[in-house]
Amino acid sequence: MERRGFLKAVGAGGAGATLAGCGADQVERLIPYVTGPEEITPGVATWYASVCGECASGCGVRVRTREGRAVMIEGNPEHPVSRGGLCARGVSALQALYDPDRLRAPMRSTGTGFEAISWEDAMEIVAERLGGEGETVFLTGRAGPAEGELLNRFASAVGGARLILDPLDDVALRAAAEIAFGVHALPRYDIAAARHLVSFGADFLETWVSPAGFAADFAAMRRLDHGDKGRFVFVGPRLSLTGQNADEWVPAKAGSEADVALALAGELVRRHGRDAGPYTDLVASRTLAGAAEAAGVPEERLAALAERFAEEDVLALGPGLAGHHAAATTANLAVLVLNAAAGAVGRTLHVPDAPDAEAASPRSDVARAVERMAAGSYEAAVVAGANPVYALPAAAGFAQAFAAVPFKIAFASAPDETTAMADLVLPDTHPLESWGDSEPVPGAYAVRQPVMRPVPLFDSRAMADVLLDAGARLGHDLGAATARDFVRQAAEARLDELGVASPDREVRWRTLLRTGAAGAGAVAGPDVAAAPDAGAGALRPPATAISFEPPELEGPGDLDLLVHPSSRFGDGTHANRPWLRELPDPVSKIMWQSWLEVHPATAERLGIRRDGDIVRVSSAHGALEVPAWLNPGIREDAVAMAMGGGHEEYGRFAADFAVSAGVNPQTLLPDAADETSGTPALVSVRVQVAPTGAWTRLASTEGTRDLHHHQDDRNIALAATVSSLGHAGEDAGHAGEDGHGQLQELQQGGGFVPVPTEGKAADFPLPGSDFGEYGEPHPRWAMVVDLDQCTGCSACVTACQAENNIPWVGETEAMNGREMHWLRLERYYEAVDASDGGDLDVRFLPMLCQHCNNAPCEPVCPVFAAYHTPDGLNAQAYNRCVGTRYCANNCPYKVRVFNWYRYTSKERIKEPLNWQFNPDVTVRDNGVMEKCTFCVQRIREAGNRAAVEGREVRDGEVRTACQSVCAAGAITFGNIKDPDSEVAALAADERSYRVLDALINTQPAVHYLKKAVFHDVDEGGH
Amino acid sequence: MTTAELRQQRGALPNPDVGAYSDVNRDVLKTLSRPGKGWWTLFGLAVGGVGIFLACWFWQIYEGIGVSGLNAPVGWGVYITTFVFWVGIAHSGTLISAILFLFRAPWRQSIYRASEAMTVFAVMTAGLFPLIHVGRVWHAYWLVPYPNDRFLWPNFRSPLVWDVFAVTTYFTVSAVFFYLGTIPDLAAARDHARGLRQKFYKLISLGWRGTDREWHHFSKAYIYLAALATPLVLSVHSVVSWDFAMSIVPGWHTTIFAPYFVAGAIFSGVAMVITLAVPMRKFFGLEKYLTVKHFEAMAKLCLLTGSIVLYAYLTEYFLAWYSGEPPERGSFWNRVFGHYWWANWIMLTCNGLVPLMLWFKRVRRSIAALFVISIFINIGMWFERFVIIVTSLSHEYEPWAWGIYRPSIFEMGILLGSFAWFGFWFLLFTRLLPPVAIAEMKEVVPPPRRGAVQRDAEAPA
Repeated sequence: MERRGFLKAVGAGGAGATLAGCGADQVERLIPYVTGPEEITPGVATWYASVCGECASGCGVRVRTREGRAVMIEGNPEHPVSRGGLCARGVSALQALYDPDRLRAPMRSTGTGFEAISWEDAMEIVAERLGGEGETVFLTGRAGPAEGELLNRFASAVGGARLILDPLDDVALRAAAEIAFGVHALPRYDIAAARHLVSFGADFLETWVSPAGFAADFAAMRRLDHGDKGRFVFVGPRLSLTGQNADEWVPAKAGSEADVALALAGELVRRHGRDAGPYTDLVASRTLAGAAEAAGVPEERLAALAERFAEEDVLALGPGLAGHHAAATTANLAVLVLNAAAGAVGRTLHVPDAPDAEAASPRSDVARAVERMAAGSYEAAVVAGANPVYALPAAAGFAQAFAAVPFKIAFASAPDETTAMADLVLPDTHPLESWGDSEPVPGAYAVRQPVMRPVPLFDSRAMADVLLDAGARLGHDLGAATARDFVRQAAEARLDELGVASPDREVRWRTLLRTGAAGAGAVAGPDVAAAPDAGAGALRPPATAISFEPPELEGPGDLDLLVHPSSRFGDGTHANRPWLRELPDPVSKIMWQSWLEVHPATAERLGIRRDGDIVRVSSAHGALEVPAWLNPGIREDAVAMAMGGGHEEYGRFAADFAVSAGVNPQTLLPDAADETSGTPALVSVRVQVAPTGAWTRLASTEGTRDLHHHQDDRNIALAATVSSLGHAGEDAGHAGEDGHGQLQELQQGGGFVPVPTEGKAADFPLPGSDFGEYGEPHPRWAMVVDLDQCTGCSACVTACQAENNIPWVGETEAMNGREMHWLRLERYYEAVDASDGGDLDVRFLPMLCQHCNNAPCEPVCPVFAAYHTPDGLNAQAYNRCVGTRYCANNCPYKVRVFNWYRYTSKERIKEPLNWQFNPDVTVRDNGVMEKCTFCVQRIREAGNRAAVEGREVRDGEVRTACQSVCAAGAITFGNIKDPDSEVAALAADERSYRVLDALINTQPAVHYLKKAVFHDVDEGGH
Repeated sequence: MTTAELRQQRGALPNPDVGAYSDVNRDVLKTLSRPGKGWWTLFGLAVGGVGIFLACWFWQIYEGIGVSGLNAPVGWGVYITTFVFWVGIAHSGTLISAILFLFRAPWRQSIYRASEAMTVFAVMTAGLFPLIHVGRVWHAYWLVPYPNDRFLWPNFRSPLVWDVFAVTTYFTVSAVFFYLGTIPDLAAARDHARGLRQKFYKLISLGWRGTDREWHHFSKAYIYLAALATPLVLSVHSVVSWDFAMSIVPGWHTTIFAPYFVAGAIFSGVAMVITLAVPMRKFFGLEKYLTVKHFEAMAKLCLLTGSIVLYAYLTEYFLAWYSGEPPERGSFWNRVFGHYWWANWIMLTCNGLVPLMLWFKRVRRSIAALFVISIFINIGMWFERFVIIVTSLSHEYEPWAWGIYRPSIFEMGILLGSFAWFGFWFLLFTRLLPPVAIAEMKEVVPPPRRGAVQRDAEAPA
């Protein structure tokens, strides 16, 4: 063949092969904007302030949108209550927004299934069904003020009654506040101002009232100040995440809160001459011995606690939702009385002057509605923002009664157990797509604005718009034509009330939309007990004599069953989010599965040999089988289960995604409620627990279960005694990690290394300690994590997952130890004693890539996929990675995760879940290693912005995703080479240390500040 | 003095049963005749095993490395264990043929061909495992330094890149060495074969005629290659050991790894030679050539290297304790009493205790006993690598990240398939190449006397 001919043949063949590679089905057209939409610049993110709609707390959020799609949610620092914090549930709203199981069109029941219909048809049906004479029952969740008002107006216009269902609303506390102070409202707590905080079981860092706001307050309370900080005592049978954050644990029996609180108040009255208002005589008769007997704890433990209450600035919380039993109101009342006797009322506890508008209906009202439904008294039922078929105990008989209603309309964005029974299902928009508002506390107001057009794959309409439309069709004037107008009217009125002045209403409105909130936080609101010394004077005498009898738990078992809201799923509303299902539970560190918490001693008695042994739990009302998890943080006479499992109809991620749905502990419960408030009694039975002989592997991230959750001798999460801190300069030599009094030198890369005390000056600093130092123009990015502030809530884990396109792997893979989180929250039990209580020391440590100066992963990579950037980042070039996994083997922190499968394939990430992917971050393929990048995309974005503006990156300008949701403010990020940066100052703190650095000279860029504890710790920090 | 007499003085093993040069040709080349049922059965099993091997591997490439049981923190498991196992097996071949050749230990002459073949096939097997274990095998060539327009080079600091060089060099040299040594025998086979086989041998014997000049060049080349291969015996497994020793994993990061691994490699390699030689001797009737004396010599080599290995084990435990570092101590405590205690005890029993029986001469001279012991050593040496790799990774510095690895069915398929792959080549070898070195065997046979009838006087060897 001639050379020319050969070249021709090669050229033709090559072109043919190229063309064959382009199938016609892959042609995608790029159509440029003719007129670009306002506020959208391709490639540049737009942020909107809004309100989180995931629970009734109403935290402020900032939503990052790219090209019109929401891709990330962070806390809004301008929100008066949440102040920049957000929980994992809030971050996971994105997965509800893009849930592939969301309803795609209005649907009408055909008897055997559903058929999709048009909105016009659906609206006609609504108008026809609700326009009749019969009565309609409205079952809704707790809504914002505007939406609540609209629901009320609509309900009364069509002749119906509205019931508010929210299992997470602390109804008993409100009822107790009404008895104590005469106001049917939740008291407001100023945790930040307390020096002694006692929680009688209230999980204020997880689900109670406003967790993100409380976490910020709690962090402020515990901030070290001249060698002292606030002290937190947890009283309750089980260490929840909140309990694990305590300095001291009084493991009181479930139901003994009133006894303990009244006895403590009695001590104050008897020994310190305090006043408990109308309850003084009653509490004076309560002895510590009696309370100790009832609570099953040593009397001296309570005596010590009583001494704390005699001091200033105390605050008692609780008992919270997890402790709700048949005497919940009186238990709450007892704690309020204790607060009054201790002088907290008016100082750390504020009582609003007006009743809460949106409060969950008492269970008695719900029970009456269920009866009437069953009797056929209602023509129609409308369910919105609630899932009563799942959330109410089976014993309540809701499902049967609901089925008897002739016509059932359900508003929901995704199908659930309730929509499955409805006759007409109306796809609601997600809160991020619709207008609303919120009143997080009296005196504060926030508007929830849509951050994007409703996802076009789902033909959804905002419930408010549907109600207004239906109202118009039925001839009722509800006050506005659209939800936006309705909310704006409400907002204008509210801003007037708050006295937010502005010459121009439009400017005022725009400002509200931009900042997201107006008004002041919990502390500054109105207070009926505002006089500083109001104290017990604020207490009102009860209308009827209150006996404060402890609740009777129903047999026949011998173990108290503690059903508690899940910090990940709430009451189960959030159980359809893969991020949350794969988020290790902050207490048990179990993903995807349900479990029963059992004390190891109890387990031994019952014949449960190890974690994962499947046990049969039975009460008089039901039985279920669930794996056991042995936890020293629960009383020996109790077992605990989290709510949220056992969904039957809640999309693929709640049940079908190759996962077990878990179990719903409510099947064990009777339809019991506290009589006064009507709050459901979550603690109402004693159960029998017996091993079945079966076993399942737990999908747990915890590697130390065999060590009883202890960190062994590894010195990972360290602590220092509070009294030894705050004396900087006096004995600076002891600041080092090993505490041997060596000379310590602050490194340019941050942190300290021991300096040899022998040898010549030329030997300084230690050889190798300047690894990773670079020339002047480059910063050195570093992070400081304050272990004393971290509460272990794990919001950072989900935020990291959302920001960095980190896939979830599912239950089976999680069981194999293949979870992909770049950031994990380690939790070590140092001192946990369920029988005696006392000093409690549970350490939390967020572990992420340490971006070592002297990184062990870098030299072992055969292809330079792991390398060091000039600004000190330990980078990973995914496309260069061959997948030898040597870097992961050699990483002492084990923060590198591997793509064992194609976790981001279209089969796994169904449209439109992929819309959430951050366009600034690569989506990784099968067979490559990945890890924390310090959110390099944010660093580069800030760097580019600074370069365009001709300046340096400002300190604090780069905020990592984990940092941007941390309610406690435990994470600081910045350039440690800048001596004025916050991160450099914190890294030089006397509590600063770097994990494993002293042992293997990795010189990490992540510095941890030791937890400050009140008890003595040894030199190693244990 | 004849060559044979000279060699006998140096400890060569003349066999009174071998009468003449012609007997050697006849006995050895007999193995190349038409295979029987037994061979075909074994060959069928091997082909089936290779099929399983390929099926598992292709499924893994298609689905992802997740079909293995690997996880965090155990990123290396059965694949790397088996890689090191086969690299170790590959060691005795070169040791026996090259080092013993240079040290003039002529007892090697009847086993070196089989052990060299084993070396080449073992490296061919081992070389697959790094490919099997990487996440993106289609990019594995990035570990090779090749010129490219982006000036991207591999990281020469990474022991894995050293590994690429070490293993490919070792394969090249041992394959050339193996082939070179067979040339005179291939010529002998050529002269006995007919038809297609003859053409095959004609081609690969490179026209060997057995002239003085050819023998002169041959022996020079052989001795130089032996000298070149000798350092490789030490270097390859040293480099493989540095895959571990260069890391900071407690249980890996130790300076004794190179000698420890080399001794272990020879230990396992000699054991594997025994395992293969015993049945080969039986099936092909080579008892005259592979005598008890040969086996006893190999047993002594096992005893020596096994003792080094046992000493290394004890040193590791001692140093872990002596270091005083919690991660180091924890790692070895975990080996002995942790989740994988059984693997460690299999290792200690098979490699430490069972070979102690070789101190007894009766055991060393019992073919059956040696066969059983060699199987124990093979198992023990596989578990040694499993213990080093898996238990160390499962229990490192960070207690939160401790974890358990369970090999999956696919890894087991590939492990068993690797034996089939090895067996496939070895079975072909026994039928295609003279399994005992004809030319060297003749060196120890009494030379034919003048005047005697030389039926095969024209025989080149």
